[in-house]
Amino acid sequence: MYALFTLLAGACQSAMASLNGMLTDHIGMFGMSFCVHAIGGILLILYMKATTHERLKISGMPWYLYSAGFFGIFLVVSSSYCIGVLGVSFMTCISVTGQLVISAVIDHFGWFGVPKIPFNRKRLPCFILILAGLIILNLS
Amino acid sequence: MAFVLTLAFLNGCATVISKMINYRCTKYLGTNNGSLVNYVVASVLSLVLLLVFSGSSADLNDFRQTPWWLYLGGAFGIVAFIISMITLSRLKVMESTILLLVGQLTAGILFDAFVFRDISIRKIFGIVLVAAGIIWDNKISSASREKSSGD
Repeated sequence: MYALFTLLAGACQSAMASLNGMLTDHIGMFGMSFCVHAIGGILLILYMKATTHERLKISGMPWYLYSAGFFGIFLVVSSSYCIGVLGVSFMTCISVTGQLVISAVIDHFGWFGVPKIPFNRKRLPCFILILAGLIILNLS
Repeated sequence: MAFVLTLAFLNGCATVISKMINYRCTKYLGTNNGSLVNYVVASVLSLVLLLVFSGSSADLNDFRQTPWWLYLGGAFGIVAFIISMITLSRLKVMESTILLLVGQLTAGILFDAFVFRDISIRKIFGIVLVAAGIIWDNKISSASREKSSGD
């Protein structure tokens, strides 16, 4: 049951990315980013009011953590732009590969204070398989 | 083309860094408020950028004439967020990573086929290879995680 819902969450992410791409054609990238985040924020507040009843609070963190919002904008703008050119599935494949590579690099060097985990060479064939898939995607 | 491919790759890198930042926000403010920060800051900042870059040419009519369902993206994002918050604690990390990916790619293929009308057997073959590589890598990584944590 939880597995099914998680699948659905993935599908929702693709749906969001496709809709954002089309929305950008109408109101521009910053208009799209504003609408997506404002609507998402209002719905999240409603969800919190309806279920957890917790007080709204966004102050009291170190200043650099507020860069979360900057990343939020970069992510929706760049993915809607890339989807317009590459399509949803190709874009998802490259983006997930980027996540894998940067995670391996962050772990290997212990960036941002995470525990150092040296790169496991057994993972190389997987990376080659992924690269082969990306090359085929790029050719099609 | 090289620019778009690089941007797509950077999008993936930014996703990971953004998740790390969001995770630290939730340590200060709790899961929901910690995520709300992202939405509040991003809305305000987008509005400022919208006004700075389009200024007087920002046309409210464009917003009004847009079909209403195109605005559902934010709603889908929140649904995805709430589902993953609820299911994350009940599934193994590896399971939820793979399930999210398979859901994303399956829906992605369907959207490419029916909305953007851009799909081919070759493309699906490439997607399957990438997915297989990522799932395989997940198995190796999670096996070595379990070994090192002694479970």
